[in-house]
Amino acid sequence: MSRSYDAVVIGAGHNGLVTSAYLARAGLSVLVVEQRSRVGGGASSEELFPGFSFDTGTHRAAKLHPSVASDLNLRSHGLEMVRADPALFVPDGEGRHLLLGGSASATADSIRTFSAADAGRWADFEAFTGMVAGFLSSVFSIEPPEIPDPSRSGMAALGRLGLGLRKLGRREMEEVVRVLPMSCLELLDEWFESEPLRGALAGISVQGGAHGPMATGTAFNLFRGAAESGSGSPTALVRPRGGVGRLSEALASAARAAGVEIRTDRTVKHVLLDAGRAAGVVLEDGTEISARTVASGVGPGVTLLGLSDPASLDPEFVRSLRAVRYRGATAKVHLALGELPRFEGAPSAEAHLGGAISISPSLQYVERASDAAKYGSVSEAPYLEAVIPTVSEPDLAPEGKHAMSVLVQYAPYHLRESSWNAAASEALGDTVVQTLGRFAPNLPDAVEARHVLTPAGMEDKWGLQEGSVFQGEMTLDQFFFARPVAGWARYRTPIAGLYLCGTGTHPGGGLTGTCGYLAARRILKDAKGQR
Amino acid sequence: MRVGREAAYDAIVIGGGHNGLTTAAYLARAGRSVLVLERRHLVGGSTVTEEMYPGFKFSVLSYVVSLLRPEIIRELDLPRHGLEILPLESTFTPLPNGDRLTRWADHDQTRREIYRHSPLDADAYDRFGQLMYRMALAVKPILAMVPPDPTSLSPKDLRGLLRLGRHFRDLGEADFFMLYKLMTMSSADFLDEWFETDALKATMSASGIIGTFLGPRSPGTAYVQLHHYMGEIDGAFRAWGFARGGTGAVAESIASAARSLGVTIRVNAAVARVIVRGGRAVGVALEDGEEIRGRTVVSGLDPRLTFLNLVDETDLPREFVDSIRRYRSVGSSGKVNLALGELPDFTSLPGDGDHLRGAISISPSQDYLERAYDDAKYGEFSRRPYMDVIIPSLIDPGMAPPGKHVMSCFVQYAPFALNGGWNDEKRKAFGDTVIDTLSEYAPNLRNAIIHRQVVTPQDMEDEFGLTGGNIFHGELSLQQLFFLRPAPRWANYRTPMRGFYLCGSGTHPGGGICGGPGRLAALEILRGGAR
Repeated sequence: MSRSYDAVVIGAGHNGLVTSAYLARAGLSVLVVEQRSRVGGGASSEELFPGFSFDTGTHRAAKLHPSVASDLNLRSHGLEMVRADPALFVPDGEGRHLLLGGSASATADSIRTFSAADAGRWADFEAFTGMVAGFLSSVFSIEPPEIPDPSRSGMAALGRLGLGLRKLGRREMEEVVRVLPMSCLELLDEWFESEPLRGALAGISVQGGAHGPMATGTAFNLFRGAAESGSGSPTALVRPRGGVGRLSEALASAARAAGVEIRTDRTVKHVLLDAGRAAGVVLEDGTEISARTVASGVGPGVTLLGLSDPASLDPEFVRSLRAVRYRGATAKVHLALGELPRFEGAPSAEAHLGGAISISPSLQYVERASDAAKYGSVSEAPYLEAVIPTVSEPDLAPEGKHAMSVLVQYAPYHLRESSWNAAASEALGDTVVQTLGRFAPNLPDAVEARHVLTPAGMEDKWGLQEGSVFQGEMTLDQFFFARPVAGWARYRTPIAGLYLCGTGTHPGGGLTGTCGYLAARRILKDAKGQR
Repeated sequence: MRVGREAAYDAIVIGGGHNGLTTAAYLARAGRSVLVLERRHLVGGSTVTEEMYPGFKFSVLSYVVSLLRPEIIRELDLPRHGLEILPLESTFTPLPNGDRLTRWADHDQTRREIYRHSPLDADAYDRFGQLMYRMALAVKPILAMVPPDPTSLSPKDLRGLLRLGRHFRDLGEADFFMLYKLMTMSSADFLDEWFETDALKATMSASGIIGTFLGPRSPGTAYVQLHHYMGEIDGAFRAWGFARGGTGAVAESIASAARSLGVTIRVNAAVARVIVRGGRAVGVALEDGEEIRGRTVVSGLDPRLTFLNLVDETDLPREFVDSIRRYRSVGSSGKVNLALGELPDFTSLPGDGDHLRGAISISPSQDYLERAYDDAKYGEFSRRPYMDVIIPSLIDPGMAPPGKHVMSCFVQYAPFALNGGWNDEKRKAFGDTVIDTLSEYAPNLRNAIIHRQVVTPQDMEDEFGLTGGNIFHGELSLQQLFFLRPAPRWANYRTPMRGFYLCGSGTHPGGGICGGPGRLAALEILRGGAR
């Protein structure tokens, strides 16, 4: 079987699907090759146990890039985004709890049970994060200019960003620049005193990374969260009705409608080169698919060092590529529950479980959780964020039962004492259930089945290098013009015709589709230039 | 209230630290009449030598010189005023397994020693040295410029920004990207890209944590590491030196230069407040009630002490006061100075030798440093701290009685906000920890101690006026550097109060015995005009 396409996209993750849809809409013939039997990559909903559906990758969706949402008309392809209200339930471990992300007044009332001062500042804080998020969104939505020596169009783009910043007001501009490099601790010290609130925000600031909230650069993730949620609030939680997988399915449906062909259960072995130019892909089964353009939704290291021949690349480029930091420290645990967890002191009604549950009683708790990872072991008291979508959508589990998806930090990809074997994986599952049990004593006995996805498991399952959910750490040194590597942030690679379109490119992060969208635009612009 | 015994001065400098003295000298050099007021009985601030015990002279706080701007040495002709810098030629890192890593002044000897640990590192070491030299050159012009305000539209600031943009562009891509990495990465990650020998990486990354409340794995520390590469002695970057007579001799030489230029210096003259008339600083009132008039008042104290203690808040814009309140000045280090009856005898390199004439670094591994930080994060001093030790009496025999020695130990981490607060008992325990740690490497040390002086961060605040015990007058974190130091819009040594200036380490380019702030402040004052 051999066929020729204008473009072939490696990986049907959400960004790959977005890229494919845009290329097809521009009239290109496009094939998407997906290794697994389903589309979505890390944005998937899977039936792990009969009748129980889980978001096995991220359980947080995001506001899609505005163009993607409107151009692809995902609503008509079955996508319905739901905003959780309240968004975050934070038990303090001593019988009290915090509820964030409902109406402003309800949130303030909840915070007031811990600190009146903090309650008074919450609205200002959300306005502040919204302001910074607004600016970040403008950075997130453009292709990074060539820094330090921008072209005319790059200069114009930088000028627009600068002007946008200036328009916020002088004081605001200063604030944006000042707070972006901070640690989460430094930021929160300026705002809040109550520990459950600091802990909840600290948790958001470390998701997907290897650092603790006292490390420089973590405040950025809080603002990124605020930008991606689309509400300006870092605690907001959006997800598609039916699960995160619905987003990928809607994208696949939109792509198909635009003419894209998607082949699952096909693994790309390597990128085909012709005179140093990408000319297609070769599949594991030996099939050659030729294409003038190859866009890879998998990470930069996997694409350029795994699927391409590093010897064909400039050694300095290879060196920068090898220096990209991944070091995933996130795991997932999926629990089939016979009953809902009962948190001490929580109301009997289950509304508080409709969003995410954050096991982060204090900022120090989250920081301590990060300590173990620095020395290559799993946190004994990890930071957890759990969702139970069955609270609002009972049909995602058998009647009367519930599906709980738990994000776990920190479970480092690189363990010092062992590998991620079955024993290590089970120990992680035990730790998570025990930790939850300290806050909701009925939970351990309610677990009917358990599935653990370790960082090594994520690498196997989705090709996420070192289990990094963002295909490379979301840190300031790997951001904007430096993502994935400085000088190559414009979706191109040193191999002509080979592009990157996954979350390892600018702006990275969650399920916004922006990487895929900007990559498609770059591909189309380059194609136009060639004609 | 007594009336000043002298007529008004052109300028009054509050604080006779090395920056205050530098400002005074430059102002006098331009023909201004200048008075320096020092609270303590001697000049120097944190740059002092004190004979704490008969015959034993301690560089009480800062203890090595390298960052002192060469133009200051030249322009004030400091050698003529007694400044003599003796090179500290080696860095000796004893290891717990009885091995050691020593870097010598002699390049080939260092290379052989590193080769013994890792042939790869021996090669990388040279290239790394060249890189850091280039990076130091790239940053030097930035350190020497008054930071332009990117939020201002004044021609002067725009010119400054343009100059900066050109500077970055002219660096070329490769060096610019490297500089960006240094500004944003952790020193541990940065060094991991170059070296494999743990002790080498630990000893090098140690300079990235000095004075910060961060561990070597936290982003932001690579910059601090670079900051410590800025040292330039006789044109050789990265050369550390020891002033004959202790660091106090640096301040005394500047004081002598200042006096010869006509500066009046009064010690035991503590300033209680700045006198303000019509929104303008017109002089100072001493604690004994004496009032002295000055057309310009310059504070060498740290920003928090200056604006929150010497000035009535109502004389300043609220936003500015807020900025100063948020300015972080959290101490993380202590100092232990020892009078010794005999030299320490290190198990890993027994006997007296050249290795004792340089720096002795207790930094056996990156984990060691990181664990030292972990203790501090949770409010305890490190059970096994990082230490930078020198034995000044070996370089300058005048520092101790014949046959005896003084030993200076810079110790990190010792958090200012110690759980339960600092008291005599905690100070003693801290001192014991330092001795216990050193004794693990040099067992004879314990019995060689004749006197010991322990300086906690609390002592640094109480005795030396360093807010929070921060040795740099505020952390050298990205959000407190360049145009943000100490507050946005006011990084040009001016303050919102007319006639009132800052010249201490809390201004650009920051801490260390650098003199840059003092010199740039003087030049700005001479330019005149408030914004």
